[in-house]
Amino acid sequence: MSYLQLSDITKTYGHFTALDNVSLSVDKGEFVTFLGPSGSGKTTTLMIIAGFEKASAGTVEVGGQSISQLAPHERNIGIVFQNYALFPHKTAVENVYFPLQMRGVSRTQGLRQAEDMLSLVGLKGFGHRHPKELSGGQQQRVALARALVFEPSLLLLDEPLGALDKNLREQMQIEIKRIQRSLGVTTIFVTHDQSEAMSMSDRIVVFEKGRIEQAAAPLDIYHRPQTSFVAAFIGESNLIPATISSAAGKTAENPALGAFDYAGADNALSDGQKVTLLIRPEHIKLSRNPIEGRRNVRMTVETIVNYGDNALVIGRAGEVTMRVRVLGADVVIIKEGEECCISWMPESVFVITK
Amino acid sequence: MNLFMRWTGILVVIFIAAPLVIVVPMSFSSANSLQFPPPGYWLGYYRAYFTNPDWLIPTWNSILIATATTILTMILVVPATFALVRHKFRGKSFADLMMLMPLAVPHIVMAVGYYSYLGDLGLVHSHLGVILAHTCLSVPIAFLVLSANLKGFDRNLERAAQSLGASPTKTFMHITLPILRPGLIISALFAFVQSFDETVVAIFISGRDAATLPRKMFDSIRQEADPVIAVISTLLFFLVLIGIAAPYFVSALRSRAPKPSRPAGAH
Repeated sequence: MSYLQLSDITKTYGHFTALDNVSLSVDKGEFVTFLGPSGSGKTTTLMIIAGFEKASAGTVEVGGQSISQLAPHERNIGIVFQNYALFPHKTAVENVYFPLQMRGVSRTQGLRQAEDMLSLVGLKGFGHRHPKELSGGQQQRVALARALVFEPSLLLLDEPLGALDKNLREQMQIEIKRIQRSLGVTTIFVTHDQSEAMSMSDRIVVFEKGRIEQAAAPLDIYHRPQTSFVAAFIGESNLIPATISSAAGKTAENPALGAFDYAGADNALSDGQKVTLLIRPEHIKLSRNPIEGRRNVRMTVETIVNYGDNALVIGRAGEVTMRVRVLGADVVIIKEGEECCISWMPESVFVITK
Repeated sequence: MNLFMRWTGILVVIFIAAPLVIVVPMSFSSANSLQFPPPGYWLGYYRAYFTNPDWLIPTWNSILIATATTILTMILVVPATFALVRHKFRGKSFADLMMLMPLAVPHIVMAVGYYSYLGDLGLVHSHLGVILAHTCLSVPIAFLVLSANLKGFDRNLERAAQSLGASPTKTFMHITLPILRPGLIISALFAFVQSFDETVVAIFISGRDAATLPRKMFDSIRQEADPVIAVISTLLFFLVLIGIAAPYFVSALRSRAPKPSRPAGAH
């Protein structure tokens, strides 16, 4: 039974279609991430759920009731904005008290509740400070407390970690996840950072050009992308154009690299069908000589990007550029300009039809 | 070079401050005309100012006109600023231009215009006439100050308030207005000072009945050079000084007040 239901949401600005028939159901307590490049429609969708944008067509339902006609303040949805949008003239605890104040909770009781919520987000004792006296991470927590204190039916997070530095961001990812789980609040998280999406979500919804490309669990999105856009957008990928030579024998053919065996595909395939083959760079092995039992291809190394613990080796195999992720310890066997062998298992080849 | 710059700076400061150095002692002068240095000192002209209706009536006129101008200006400017800053509509750039027009046109030109226009309406020599004319002049100044404030206003704050359950009216009262308050106060202050300070239009249309303080001072300096002018200048100067210094005093007092104790390990 879905809790949040988006049905055929379309949003047009003049001739520009920002959202094109977006439908999605989210379960109660689920943590769903909207992922996509800027302008893909993820924030527009969020704004339509929040009520700040009106959909040109389609409905939004929460708990079985349409909220499409409600004004933002009638929707009972908590939002954390990218810049936190804390009220500068109120202290942290007054910020958190504000939604309770708007709901007619008395000042004494409301402030106590606000203090409790601040403790939950790890800001016990910071209530009397004004936003400008708090660090970015602390402001973030206040914004989160404020969006949660009134027990919203939905929590929307609009790229809330974008302004934080890397260490703090990772810390906040864990914190947000912990708080979300402890309260069980249904959450929509918007980001363009794929590692954030991978680590935090129950489900990722990939947006592109106003459409949902794919909505699935993080690992499904990673290992079984339904479109080449998703495969290219999430993680690193080798995308090889190919033709199915035998659907029954599970083989495909690329003119430069020859025959590929693949283990499976999500869609029914037919002989002669044009497809794209996905092989993740970390599923490819680099060696001096061919390895038995694997599909081997010769590659000339062009560039080695060394990250210390691992390295990215880019080279040409036939007419195809291949990217290989190797452990830092293994990269010493090869130099730029040399020829080597790359190999993979059929299980590492995934067929994308779109 | 450094020395040269420093001395230039000092000279500029002296040049700017010189009128004050002259005016303040002259207000205590016992001479029967404006004279520097004063031959002797007394407080007679202060008594003259505070007891003579010829001076007190223009003072009240000025305060009344400036207050009414400020109120009228803000009633017009606040909605206009919100409309011009936040909304797109046909003729917006023209409206923008018209708002600022009085700032570009010389006061003397405006004054002549008001003189004939308000004359037709029978409002010359009346408080209302001066208030209307001053409002026209105050609107662009108040608009400039307030629109700069409003442009810098983060609209996500209003969105956040609404998502937290505040209706548009409550959002305005609890969030928009308090955050814009300093801008509103400064904008109103500018409107007030503009009116209180304005001379050219006042000379043309205020007449005897609605004569403002600057107009009366101007008349006086032409006719008799009454040292009361120095008294008024001095009083105004100190009023402004207090106005500028007040916020510093307030914040200094606040920081001296005992703060609520902060729990250990709050950092």
